[in-house]
Amino acid sequence: MFGKGLVKGLQITWKEFWAPKLTVEYPDKQHPMPERFHGKFVLDVDKCIACGLCVNACPNRVISLNKQKVGKKQYLTDYKMDIQYCLFCGLCVESCNKGAIHFTQDFNMNQYFYKNIPLVLVRREAPAEPLEEPATGGEEKPKPKPKPKPQAPKEEKVAEPAPPAAESEAAAGKEGQ
Amino acid sequence: MLRTQEYILNFGPQHPATHGVFQVILTLDGERIVKAEPVCGYLHRGIEKLAEARTYTQVIPYTDRMDYLAAMLQNWGYVQAVEKLMGIEVPERAEYLRIISGELSRLTSHVLATGVYALDVGGFTGFLLCFREREKMMDLLEELTGSRMTTSYARIGGVADDVTEGWLDKLDKLMDEMPGYIEEYNGLITGNEIFQARTKFIGKLTPETSINYSLSGPVLRASGVNYDLRKAKPYGIYDRFDFEVPLGTNGDCFDRFYCRVLEMEQSVRIIKQAIEQIKEVDGPIIAKVPKVLKPPKGEVYQEIESSKGIIGYYIVSDGTNKPYRMHVRRPSFINLGYLDEMLRGYLVADVVAILGSIDIVLGEVDC
Ligand code: SF4
Ligand code: SF4
Repeated sequence: MFGKGLVKGLQITWKEFWAPKLTVEYPDKQHPMPERFHGKFVLDVDKCIACGLCVNACPNRVISLNKQKVGKKQYLTDYKMDIQYCLFCGLCVESCNKGAIHFTQDFNMNQYFYKNIPLVLVRREAPAEPLEEPATGGEEKPKPKPKPKPQAPKEEKVAEPAPPAAESEAAAGKEGQ
Repeated sequence: MLRTQEYILNFGPQHPATHGVFQVILTLDGERIVKAEPVCGYLHRGIEKLAEARTYTQVIPYTDRMDYLAAMLQNWGYVQAVEKLMGIEVPERAEYLRIISGELSRLTSHVLATGVYALDVGGFTGFLLCFREREKMMDLLEELTGSRMTTSYARIGGVADDVTEGWLDKLDKLMDEMPGYIEEYNGLITGNEIFQARTKFIGKLTPETSINYSLSGPVLRASGVNYDLRKAKPYGIYDRFDFEVPLGTNGDCFDRFYCRVLEMEQSVRIIKQAIEQIKEVDGPIIAKVPKVLKPPKGEVYQEIESSKGIIGYYIVSDGTNKPYRMHVRRPSFINLGYLDEMLRGYLVADVVAILGSIDIVLGEVDC
């Protein structure tokens, strides 16, 4: 009979009309994000050894970092992500042996101005170490041949000048907001 | 002297029913279509060329961006091609995870195709109803891979991550509910008389033309040609699953649409079996592959059945860590090739119905 299908469709719509709502009123309420969600990045500065593996893993050259030699160790001075080019593929996170870079559940990276889009995760001065000769090589681009092994044991030395680092990091974080 | 004259109508590029940015230049005689000239390329990003400047692993996220509605299937085709080139053996658990996520991707794609087709022919409720389940599946994909659409989940030699705690149970629950939802789609869309009147015996394709034009996927099977790579040339571990290949008879818009609905049921069947079987399979999710992948010199072609049809990857390696050349056989693009002849003789109102029934995604057409 013509019209039977239409009536059936209307019944389904009617049933759905009384079903509980699935949507939430977004900025006020928010669905929880799963743990693995590819959101905004955070960098665990103390873990990062500025090896540059993440820089090389990225297909879109999103990450740029600067480092300085302080003593025998590489000291991370800048870690910037041009997040507008990011594919959120997670290859950088996977490549990091130290587990320094990872995703968060924060998906809101909107900015009003283009210049604020890049995510500055670290921006700080390298500490001058009086005992060693001050950083000679200056700022250098990350080389594809990182040597993480010999630097790894001396974790403590860089952790020492923490106060200035934390300060400038906070400043950098503000800029990134 | 009175005489009629043909005129030209631009359908697109900015038209919601083109499913992206796509133009058809229609030559019309009154309301009848005399000629249709598809113009694609508005979404061209040069993925094949980009791949030449990326390492083999770095290409994976770009394959997502082709058919972003079933990204896992695109990833899968690519990694299989590289694995074939390098002779990598994929661990069993990874194969199961690929099947599960791949079929889930196919489901999301088909659910969207079903809903959007309802919208194309004027039924908004069906569209929203399909989005309801699609959302649930995407949430599951998000939990597994971290992304909703561009999953980048497959890795050369396996997959990126194992399932999270309780994920399989959640999926199992959704798959139990799925037949009920598909029933609702049938009630709301398939059984609707207006929908049937708009789609039946429209845009007919004979089996011969389908084969001659190298069409694939539900478009091909709707004309009654039984060719599904999962059955015809089982890749991965598809030979372990019990499923059928739904076929159409008329090769019209309705059959193409209904083929997808029936395929959803089969995907649900496959996922259910895979969930049963994966519980017994433990082990690594990725094979031992070197950090820097340097496949031997040579070339390889590997194809899999994606949601839109056969997606094939042709990769030429020159022995370095980057592909020398990559070419992708994109099913949407090839299925679109017959559009002109398919449209001829039909009315303007049928353009959207016919185009929608091919289920193209412009990211894949333009690549
Ligand atoms: S790979 Fe990890 S440790 Fe190395 S530079 Fe990147 S974030 Fe730092
Ligand atoms: S998620 Fe992908 S694109 Fe984004 S920074 Fe990491 S590697 Fe690069």
